[in-house]
Amino acid sequence: MNVEINHLTKSFGGVRAIDDVSLAFPSGSLSAIIGPNGAGKTTFFNLISGAFIADSGEVLLDREDILQLSKTERMRRGIGRAFQVASCFPTMTVRANLMAAVTAHAGRWASLSHRFPSPGMRERADDVMEFVGLTDVADVEANILSHGDQKLLDIAIALALEPKVLLLDEPTAGMGPDERWRMIERVRALWERRKLTLIFIEHDMDIVFKVASSIRVLCYGKVLAEGTPDQIRNNQAVIDAYLGAEENAT
Amino acid sequence: MDFNALGACFTTPACVVTQATSGLIVGMLLFLVAAGLTLIFGVLKIVNFAHGTFYMLGGYVAYSAYAATDSYALAVLAGAVAMALFGVLFERVLMSRVYGSNVLMQLLVCYAVVLIFDDIVKIVWGPEFRAMGMPAAFQVPPLFIAGGVVPPFYAVLIGIAALIAIVLSLGLSRTRLGKTVRAAAVNPQMVSALGVNTTVLFAIVFAIGGGLAGLAGALAGPVRSLSPGMGFSILIEGFIVTVIGGMGSIAGAMVAALVIGLVRGFGTIGFPGFTDGLIYIVMIGILVLRPQGLFGRPL
Amino acid sequence: MKRNPASRDALFAAIVLILLLAIPILHRSPAFEDFIIRLSAMALFATSLNLLVGTTGMVSFGHGMFYGFGAYAFGLTMQLTELSLPVAALFAVALTTIAALVVGAICVRLSTDYFAFITLAVQMLFFSVIVSWQSLTGGDQGLRGGIPRRHIFGFDLGSQLHLYQFCAIVAVLGLLALRHVSMSPFGNTLRMIRDNAERASFVGIVLWRARLLAFTIAGGFAGMGGVLAALFVSGAYPELADWPNSGQAIFAVMLGGINSFLGPVLGAMILLALNDLVQRFTEYHGLVLGVVILAFALGLRRGVLDFIHLVWSKRAR
Repeated sequence: MNVEINHLTKSFGGVRAIDDVSLAFPSGSLSAIIGPNGAGKTTFFNLISGAFIADSGEVLLDREDILQLSKTERMRRGIGRAFQVASCFPTMTVRANLMAAVTAHAGRWASLSHRFPSPGMRERADDVMEFVGLTDVADVEANILSHGDQKLLDIAIALALEPKVLLLDEPTAGMGPDERWRMIERVRALWERRKLTLIFIEHDMDIVFKVASSIRVLCYGKVLAEGTPDQIRNNQAVIDAYLGAEENAT
Repeated sequence: MDFNALGACFTTPACVVTQATSGLIVGMLLFLVAAGLTLIFGVLKIVNFAHGTFYMLGGYVAYSAYAATDSYALAVLAGAVAMALFGVLFERVLMSRVYGSNVLMQLLVCYAVVLIFDDIVKIVWGPEFRAMGMPAAFQVPPLFIAGGVVPPFYAVLIGIAALIAIVLSLGLSRTRLGKTVRAAAVNPQMVSALGVNTTVLFAIVFAIGGGLAGLAGALAGPVRSLSPGMGFSILIEGFIVTVIGGMGSIAGAMVAALVIGLVRGFGTIGFPGFTDGLIYIVMIGILVLRPQGLFGRPL
Repeated sequence: MKRNPASRDALFAAIVLILLLAIPILHRSPAFEDFIIRLSAMALFATSLNLLVGTTGMVSFGHGMFYGFGAYAFGLTMQLTELSLPVAALFAVALTTIAALVVGAICVRLSTDYFAFITLAVQMLFFSVIVSWQSLTGGDQGLRGGIPRRHIFGFDLGSQLHLYQFCAIVAVLGLLALRHVSMSPFGNTLRMIRDNAERASFVGIVLWRARLLAFTIAGGFAGMGGVLAALFVSGAYPELADWPNSGQAIFAVMLGGINSFLGPVLGAMILLALNDLVQRFTEYHGLVLGVVILAFALGLRRGVLDFIHLVWSKRAR
């Protein structure tokens, strides 16, 4: 599923968070979005997933404009989202979290006719758990998981919804260097196996240049540059924008 | 519903004056109660479900003080000060323990206090109705304004309450303490980071809030009788006023209190028996159309 | 063989019911039967409230309105129509469910704090309607005339024993039904909303619809409790729909434990027993109850069953 953004604009009380942004993400691509803090990267994700409604512009999924669709409808069209701060269901175990997600995906979230989990849900949840690598913490409550596992669970919940496009907001945030590489490797393996259109926000430049096939740079809500890692590495405007920000990059 | 009677009243100056002043009494007392409630909510984000108890105890303390000294002024002062102190105690001993908890836990603690003090009042003052009675100073002939009868005490009470309202709003906008209180209402962490002792601040807020409620209870002595459990209906009314006016807004409390007071004043003529219902409908309407209340911060 | 939690619950319910029905055969105690009758109504009321408070995280201050509505609906149906008791009871519960749907539709979209206030406002409105509509409801005297035709399948509910049996059966079955709701995928959805409403909506759950359904179901079961209350007091009184009654349910839920299904039942038991006990020794039962509540709120800081559960699981680790 390809994603096309045309002239997207969003202001908050007079501040242009996203300013006339046009980007295209071909089906099955693995792109990174980078940019200094406050560039509007998370807002950009929010606009695609439907958490915010853009003031103007188009968001096209396989050429269909989804701007008018609600969060839920966009999700049903295939947009998946993982969050900067891992967002799970704290009092439930990892397995329960995923069973809940697959049940919701199957449209059974309002079902009153039987006991939870619905038939077949447990197997599906176990599949996602295994895919992501969380099987050995299946029965651990989400709120006592390690930070890295919580981020994985967050991604797993998004995957349980069988997305065609996956938006990962800083998948390696808060992790040490080794953990970060392990995480991004897993993300890349996910992308290969599921043939997703994967877009991730990242601050660690080493990771970005190693993993992404294309990079988009946002700065002050505008697209500063886009291209392959080599092109971006040598782009003067990007270097200038980042000289100040690189000290703050995690 | 009796729209004829209501219409007749509106066209008779005497009736307008009489009903309006009795409505203003209700409104002013409500304002004092609601101001405390809204202040506490604004700064501490706590709904003080025990607020009615402050009102009740303020009334009873004033009653006893009046019986002992024969001075209305001293009685009112006693009521207000006693409740300010009680407010501090209540905050330090009980409420501070449940600041982070579920709102139901806070409700539970407050209601426990209500239950306890309703009985304590019964033990100390007895279960029968008690009344301060009109102090000798006010036992003068009523004023006749546009043909309407206005007991002088009403005018005094309205005047005192209005004065307090002015002092309160000036205090909040001009004094350093007031500005700190308002800042804490918007951003408590910042205020604490700036070095303000939030423990003391919170205690002060409860002192002011409790003091205002106690003051209302004491002021109302001559025109309201006292009984255990009287705090509850005042609490509900105060609640309604703060919701309609906007949680955290003193100006909102004043406007809403006056509106409710006047609705009561004229409602007894037009909607006898259903004035309460009318007020609840207004409250529901506000919550549906503008949940932050008339003057509250937009959500 | 896989353990089947649904059968376990049903078995537990069956055992409790059999015990309850067996006790009067062995020994008659009017006080005990009276207690169980009152507990049945309260248990349904409190457990239905917990579907909102504990399971979904929706704090409703006005739940008593549905309890009262159920009582009045039942009483009035029995008085004004010729319907038999079981039909009237079902009708009253159905009416209450519809009322809950309507009220919920107004309230459910509001955020947490304001949801609490508006449910309180609606309850107070309902209360003042009952008190002022004297021609229909008897005003603050309550519904006069009692409940006629108090028999069902040959049992005369005027007799305490039969009323006891009826209430026990209705309560156990009602609680079992609530248990089923709580353990269904929908119940799990409610817990998801309580834990993380934003993520729940990102997973495809339509929040207001789920909340409205929860509110409606909870209202219906509160109405069922109200029907039992009406049978017990032989009519209906405004106090059933007044705020202190909502308050009692909230206390029952908090005292017993919001995170345990049977917490509210235990809480109701504690409250009723405490009220009865204290009233025997002193007229100042508010004082005693207040102190007990403070001890729970400041000491245990959680309901009894939740506390027990916590201690148990700490020991298991």
